[in-house]
Amino acid sequence: MTIAEGQRAGAAAQARVVRPRRHPLRGLGGALKYVALALGALVTVLPFADMFVGALRSPADVFANPPRYFPSDPQWGVYARVFRELPIGTWLLNSVVVTATITGCQVATSTMAGYALARYRFAGRASIFRMVVGAQMFPFFLFIIPIFFILRFVPLMGGNDMAGQGGAGLLGTYAALVLPFVVTWYGVFLMRQFFLTIPEDLAEAARLDGASEWAIFRRIMLPLVKPAIATLTLFSFVYHWNEFIWTMTVTRTAPDLQTLPVGIYLLQGAFEDLDQKSLQQAALAISILPVVVVFALLQRLFVSADIATGVK
Amino acid sequence: MSGRDPEPGAEVPGPAPWLFLAPLLVFAAVFLILPLGFSVYLAFTRWNPLGTPSWVGMRQFEFLLTRDDDFLRSLANTFVFAVGFVVLVVPISLGLAFVFSRARGKAVWRSIYYLPQLTNIVAIAYLWQFVLDDRYGLINRMLGAVGLRGPDWLTDPVMAMVSVILVMVWYDAGKNMLVFSAALEGVDREIYEAAELDGASAWRTLRSITLPIIRPAAIFVTITSFITGMGFFALILAMTGGGPRGATDVTALYAYRMAFEDLRMGRASAAALILFALIAVLSLVQFRLLRERA
Amino acid sequence: MSRRTIPLAIGAAMAASAASAQDAPLQVAMHYTQEQAAPLIACIEAWDGGAAEYQQISYGDYLQTVLTGRLAGQSPDIYNVYGAVWGAQMVENGVLAPVPDDLEAFVRDGYAGGTVEAATIGGTLYGVPTEVSVYMLVSNMALLRETGFDAPPATWDELREMAEAVQTTNEQGRTDTAGFAFFQSGSGAGMVHPWYALTASEGGAPYGADGEVQLSSEAGQAALERMAGLVRDGIVDPTVDAYDAFPAGGAAMMIMANWYESAIEDGLGSLDDVVVSAIPMGEDWRTLQYAFFMGVDSGSDRQDDAWALVRHLNEPRDGEPSCVAQMLDGLGALTASAADTAALPTPDAFTQPYVDALAEDRVVSQPNVMQASEIERTMARTFEEVLAGEAEVGAALEDLNGEVEDILFEFQ
Repeated sequence: MTIAEGQRAGAAAQARVVRPRRHPLRGLGGALKYVALALGALVTVLPFADMFVGALRSPADVFANPPRYFPSDPQWGVYARVFRELPIGTWLLNSVVVTATITGCQVATSTMAGYALARYRFAGRASIFRMVVGAQMFPFFLFIIPIFFILRFVPLMGGNDMAGQGGAGLLGTYAALVLPFVVTWYGVFLMRQFFLTIPEDLAEAARLDGASEWAIFRRIMLPLVKPAIATLTLFSFVYHWNEFIWTMTVTRTAPDLQTLPVGIYLLQGAFEDLDQKSLQQAALAISILPVVVVFALLQRLFVSADIATGVK
Repeated sequence: MSGRDPEPGAEVPGPAPWLFLAPLLVFAAVFLILPLGFSVYLAFTRWNPLGTPSWVGMRQFEFLLTRDDDFLRSLANTFVFAVGFVVLVVPISLGLAFVFSRARGKAVWRSIYYLPQLTNIVAIAYLWQFVLDDRYGLINRMLGAVGLRGPDWLTDPVMAMVSVILVMVWYDAGKNMLVFSAALEGVDREIYEAAELDGASAWRTLRSITLPIIRPAAIFVTITSFITGMGFFALILAMTGGGPRGATDVTALYAYRMAFEDLRMGRASAAALILFALIAVLSLVQFRLLRERA
Repeated sequence: MSRRTIPLAIGAAMAASAASAQDAPLQVAMHYTQEQAAPLIACIEAWDGGAAEYQQISYGDYLQTVLTGRLAGQSPDIYNVYGAVWGAQMVENGVLAPVPDDLEAFVRDGYAGGTVEAATIGGTLYGVPTEVSVYMLVSNMALLRETGFDAPPATWDELREMAEAVQTTNEQGRTDTAGFAFFQSGSGAGMVHPWYALTASEGGAPYGADGEVQLSSEAGQAALERMAGLVRDGIVDPTVDAYDAFPAGGAAMMIMANWYESAIEDGLGSLDDVVVSAIPMGEDWRTLQYAFFMGVDSGSDRQDDAWALVRHLNEPRDGEPSCVAQMLDGLGALTASAADTAALPTPDAFTQPYVDALAEDRVVSQPNVMQASEIERTMARTFEEVLAGEAEVGAALEDLNGEVEDILFEFQ
């Protein structure tokens, strides 16, 4: 996640938490605002509706001149065809494995690092925090080429020798999809800000009782930042489920590792003919659905968590 | 961190903080510092990665900036895309936030407006390709039904740029709307009531209270959207592939293709660095300008 | 997630991918869809020489996929290479292994000369020719007859006249039925290939005998002028893509290769009203052929097995056509093998004119040049600019010539 995406994602999450107040702006027509909102909502939803309609068209519909917009004989079987004719099961599984692994790693590294930066005083803390903030300034496109080759030249992996030559390194493994995203700078930043808001005496009391630093972190501190963890989990999940450029770059010739968006993109040759477009639209629908479901479920979870702990 | 504040946190003996930070530090070394250094090194080489790099000094920068018309054009395209995106997305999402923050049924509106954010970029690109088809896309069919000839959304060079900007706005407006509405709702109601008691007009209230309060959010959205717009190329790759005739070819896409299609890693690294430098300078200028006026 | 489960998850993921890397079956990477390649896939899976599987790589970025895959050590074992566009670059990057001697004899004895040439780069043979494609004029006679024409055009002027007569537009000026249409593809072939055919018909060639770039020759200019004239005079609507419109009955004529037969049949329901005829350039018409060949990755650790599979797939089986030929025939595509041609039933009416063009020596081969995919992209872009009226034919081709010389300069 870049700083832009991350911070806005975080701010958007915050927006959810704020309890509605009567808005002070007066004078706008009451009905007019709903017209504006509905119009915007219509534009937002239109392409999705178009996709669902398109997926149901039959060859007869698309080969008519001019082609018919509304399916004359809706082909509900298209979704079964997607599973039969495309390796969508593999893509789904990869999407789940990769997204879950990355999200887990990001939550772990962000909470640990964020905690250390907020709760310990030690030499070098300021510089590390500056690095965390500064790292968010670098756009992702800058890293594509170098990280690709860093993974390729990892010594002793994938047939490489000590000097990193001769093989493929970590390219062609799940590690290539996961490792570049194990830490999210934004997540560390977010977690540090949350840990700063937690009173110190809790930890001090535990320390006096002889609790280990790990126990303090794990048993006392982590439960207190659950809402932040939920937020981070949600945004990591959405971001990495949808991640495209990097995964495509490293899995081009590794169909076994491709995720949903990447698989659909790289199989574009299979969707070129007019009568394959409905298959493509059905596959796209399947690629979108899981995120929407997860979001709907998690959204409720972390809103209630926020309210429960009173952390805003 | 500001130097005035007392340093928060405990001072504990032992390696605890460093253990907590270990994953971050290893990651920073391997996936931040090493790649940035490698990238700078590569920009001074010519490298087809199936062979070995050869040092060419400033030649790649020289070629890109003086001889490569397509590169210069891609910089112009990048700028147009980013500025077009910002100029549209800020007012639209702010306008939506105004109506959203005083509407009922927030949960429903929020879910709808957040939908594009949940959708992968490949699906977004393809969905819009279908909708924007010149002859049989939904939009031009609807325009045709009322007797209008719709534009050639994706086959006309100017319209193609307009289309990718509009889709980008569609993708991001909902998220920014929530940022703005958070800022709006953060305003204390009593301030407004006080203003009302003083007899301030609605316009004056808007100008003197609402706008100053959402200014930080506006600056934030403007700058982050600009940075995103300058470096974003996944949408364009999947939607127009940079076409028609290079009209939507942005620098990040141009560099990506140069690297992974034509295997010119050195030149592609140089192109990426030039773009990054440009983004850094422009964001800084923007930040100064917006802050001074505040 | 607790800290303990994370290394576990990574470990499991890595173990899974490591397991799949061992004993990997031979990978055969082609651009045909699973559906198109079904007969071939059956042969690959039934092969008794070991496990092998089919992998589809989209045509539009086949070369890119092969080259990045190679960087990532994820190369397939067997490729189907578009000789003129991908071949030189794959050889330059050391991707392809030369054909072993016994197989070379098999190729030289059994395949048409032009196609062997297409598989030969820098004097070395790199594979077994597979699919041959030729461009011809394809007409929807139902649409032409409605407008009062009983035969496809034989000259460019006739084509212009007929295309204009067929074209209908709706009240907003959008084309309903196109008279003639170009097909659009990411690789630019829809512009570049017809131009090669027209240039050859004008008596020219894109490259000289010693490889000098002559894209802006008089013949080249005349060819591009013919294409541009169609758009300029409103005879062709460049927003109509023949690839979609022709099978939907929305375009009457296109210059297209034989491999599109099955898609046309799917779309129109039958080929009864479809006629294939000469490139409409009078008596001296010429056209373009290009060929694919099946080659083996030079880094494959099972090269011998891979070549054995290549041979298995391309060798006729007891009087039956080879697996490759069987698949090509199903597509309406042409095989380059003499034995397969004999073993296959006589071509249908759609395919016969393509076969005749090959037999009558009407074809020129697509030039084998370095960095060809980059060059063809550049060419397509120039042609599109000219067709859109953004550039003049002469000046644009001069510029193009210079750009292509620049690209090739590195490789001299």
